[in-house]
Amino acid sequence: MIVRERFRGLFQKYLLVLFMAVAIPLAVNGVVEAWFGYRDQRERLDQLLGVQATSAAAEIHDFIFDITNQLGWFVQVPWSDEPDERRRTEALRLLRQAPAIVGLALIDHKGLERLYVSRIGLNRIESRADRSADPAVVGARSAQVWFSDVSYHRGSEPHLTVAVVGSRPSVGAVVAEVNLKLIWDVISAIKVGKSGFAFVLDQPGRLIAHPDISLVLRGAEEATSKPFRNIRDAIGPAGAGFATSRDAEGREIAAVAAPVAGPDWTVIVEQPLSEAYAPIYAALWRTATLLAAGTIFAALLAYALAHRMTEPIRVLEEGTEKIGAGSFDHRISIETGDEFQRLANSFNKMAAELELAQQHQERIAKLKRFLAPQVADLVDRAGDDSVLDGRHAEVVVIFCDLRGFTAFSAALAPEQVMSVLSEYYACLGRAITQFAATLISFSGDGLMVLVNAPVPVEEPALRAVDLAVEMQKGVQGLIAGWRSRGYQVGFGIGLASGAATVGRIGYADRFDYTAIGSVVNLAARLCASAADREILIDAEVAERVRGKRPLERLGDHQIKGFDEAIPVFGISFDTVADIKPQGSGVIR
Amino acid sequence: MPVIGYLCAESPELFASRLKAFHEGLREAGFVEGRNVAIDYQWAEGQYTRLPALAANLVARNVDIVVAPGGAQVALAVKAAVSNNAIVFEMGGDPVQLGVVDSLSRPGGNITGVSSLSVDVSPKRLELMHEMLPVAAKLTVVANPTSPTANSQLQKLRSAAETLGILLQVVNASTEKEFEPIFSGAAEEAGGLVFTSDPYFAFRSRQLAELAMKYRVPAITQSRDFPMAGGLMSYGGDFAQSHRRAGMYAGRILKGEKPSDLPVQLVTKVEFIINMKAAKLLGREFSPSFVSAADEVIE
Repeated sequence: MIVRERFRGLFQKYLLVLFMAVAIPLAVNGVVEAWFGYRDQRERLDQLLGVQATSAAAEIHDFIFDITNQLGWFVQVPWSDEPDERRRTEALRLLRQAPAIVGLALIDHKGLERLYVSRIGLNRIESRADRSADPAVVGARSAQVWFSDVSYHRGSEPHLTVAVVGSRPSVGAVVAEVNLKLIWDVISAIKVGKSGFAFVLDQPGRLIAHPDISLVLRGAEEATSKPFRNIRDAIGPAGAGFATSRDAEGREIAAVAAPVAGPDWTVIVEQPLSEAYAPIYAALWRTATLLAAGTIFAALLAYALAHRMTEPIRVLEEGTEKIGAGSFDHRISIETGDEFQRLANSFNKMAAELELAQQHQERIAKLKRFLAPQVADLVDRAGDDSVLDGRHAEVVVIFCDLRGFTAFSAALAPEQVMSVLSEYYACLGRAITQFAATLISFSGDGLMVLVNAPVPVEEPALRAVDLAVEMQKGVQGLIAGWRSRGYQVGFGIGLASGAATVGRIGYADRFDYTAIGSVVNLAARLCASAADREILIDAEVAERVRGKRPLERLGDHQIKGFDEAIPVFGISFDTVADIKPQGSGVIR
Repeated sequence: MPVIGYLCAESPELFASRLKAFHEGLREAGFVEGRNVAIDYQWAEGQYTRLPALAANLVARNVDIVVAPGGAQVALAVKAAVSNNAIVFEMGGDPVQLGVVDSLSRPGGNITGVSSLSVDVSPKRLELMHEMLPVAAKLTVVANPTSPTANSQLQKLRSAAETLGILLQVVNASTEKEFEPIFSGAAEEAGGLVFTSDPYFAFRSRQLAELAMKYRVPAITQSRDFPMAGGLMSYGGDFAQSHRRAGMYAGRILKGEKPSDLPVQLVTKVEFIINMKAAKLLGREFSPSFVSAADEVIE
């Protein structure tokens, strides 16, 4: 139930907001990083392949120029007409040292072939054949170093003719035939990444060198060269980064080209795209993993935080519900050290106060049973009931009871008795409340009322007399009704004033407020001796109301419990016209 | 495990160095005998006439690929016997001229292989011997009449002799016992012997070297084994290279490549080896051009 409630409202909002607060920056960061990583990696790949292509081109260049350099040694010394044994030895040595050279011809300044050495064919010494019109010789004379187009020996092995002339015409020229199959040693040593490699195309786009020698040995075959030429075309003329293309097997590749100066070839390095992009994929994968981990972390964090934020609210909610239901002793326990704890503390304080207030209320309710509502309020407002503590006070005690009630009640059904008593007490209660007197006790048809205690009032005697008159008037109204039904019932009241001990008596939750003293006895006796419609008062009361209310001296009465006869006065309630209580019951 | 049928005209002892090179090539292509490839050997022990029968043997054993190393005779015997299997040959002759393949770049059919340049360079041996013995007006060429390349070699040699301006005497040898008379005859004429390229001669370099020393005859053969065993000099293709490449091709075909897609490889390296000790023994000396041209000089 609680868990279900947690998932709606605040918890959900907090969860969402906190999760977003962590996950969104994380995701944005991840995406941005991935994008820049991709760009950097592409750039790095560009550079890497570019460097590889350049260095591969340099190696191919070195291969060719190593040969032309060695050939250069043959065009240093001017020719004489004599056979040159030294040149022959050198030529043979070069054949041994440069395995790519298949044959070598030395031409003198007149364009005559003086020496030809070969690995396969017979050597020719001093043949003096005129080779001045040989394209190699003509080409070298204009360009110092001359390269022929690539030709394919027996339709298979690529061969190249290289011619070199010296700085002076007298040193002649050297023409060598080079077997390009031997570039294989160079090209197969070039590794691009794990499975990338380099290959060489001549100007028309025929394959000259490739790590798989069998492709090269297919000669000028169109089908073999085509895929490689396509890669060269895909790269285009300008080196604007690497190009993607497909190799002969249809795999995607990244390729970069670099020119080989001299023979006008192109070196292309290629690497399978999957391998070239592997670091990019790895980086993306890493980012994705981190992102996922971050998102999970964000979710957990958001859950924990949302829980931490809503849990006190839930506890508060529960607590306030309990307190609201009346469990004022319930305390909300939140130890978060923040506003929530403060809020819980103030709730607890409130509950404590409510508890106190409730106890107070209960006490007041109890007090109200015997105190006038005004008095009860006073006690309530004073905040303590010390006013009820025992003390001596000048009080006016009023006793009243019905005459002939026992016979009356015997004739009635219990329900009727109770109904009659209810009417009777309601009537008396109204009067007592009206005059802010204190109801001490009632038993059967009798009642004891105190004036000027526990709270002093102005002119207690007058007030008591007025109260008695009001009581008599009210009850007589009732009695008239009862008499009409044929029941002989009377009502008498006795009042006495004097010092008495007043205070609370009782035990545990049963308390009463009462007065003890001879004045109580006196009032009781006066009541007992009062006839119907009579209000008997003692001398002290009479003294106090003299001149204010019509008094009638009834002579001295011998009262039981008193040694001497006591002067008794009566107040005819009929003569006292509707008297309002003085000071409208305001109690000081 | 795939099975290679390996047909050889000689015995395992004579063929050990070639076989080693073949295994190297196989390993380069990713195959090692006993681990991921089996080899079924057939040895003719020098009896070249047994080759067709042995080739038929291999076909009957249903091998995946047949390797025919050590000469045109083996390749031709295998090509005649085999119809479906892939064939890798190793020979010194020109496979196109011999009709083994259609062309070097596109061999056609199910056969490809490696050719050393030994047969092509026979005239160079004549040239070297002529240079060694410039005053000799007549040189003797030894040919194996049973060799499929004998005629083409002799034709080239004759034309070279004409160029060089010398007379050529051709003697035949196809068995070991024919060797000695040739050397004794050459010794009497104080001439030099030029051996044509032929596996039968190549695998008998030791006997030839011994006879050359015994009769003090300057001789040149195709195989480096000859000067190593005490002969004067040799000029021919590097067999280690050719056999290794044959091994690589065999491996590539085992991996699924078609022989027709693999051009015939010509061995690039032709090696010239001279033996100074032998020269001294013969009372001769190598000129500086010999020494500078030699790939290996045995002191």
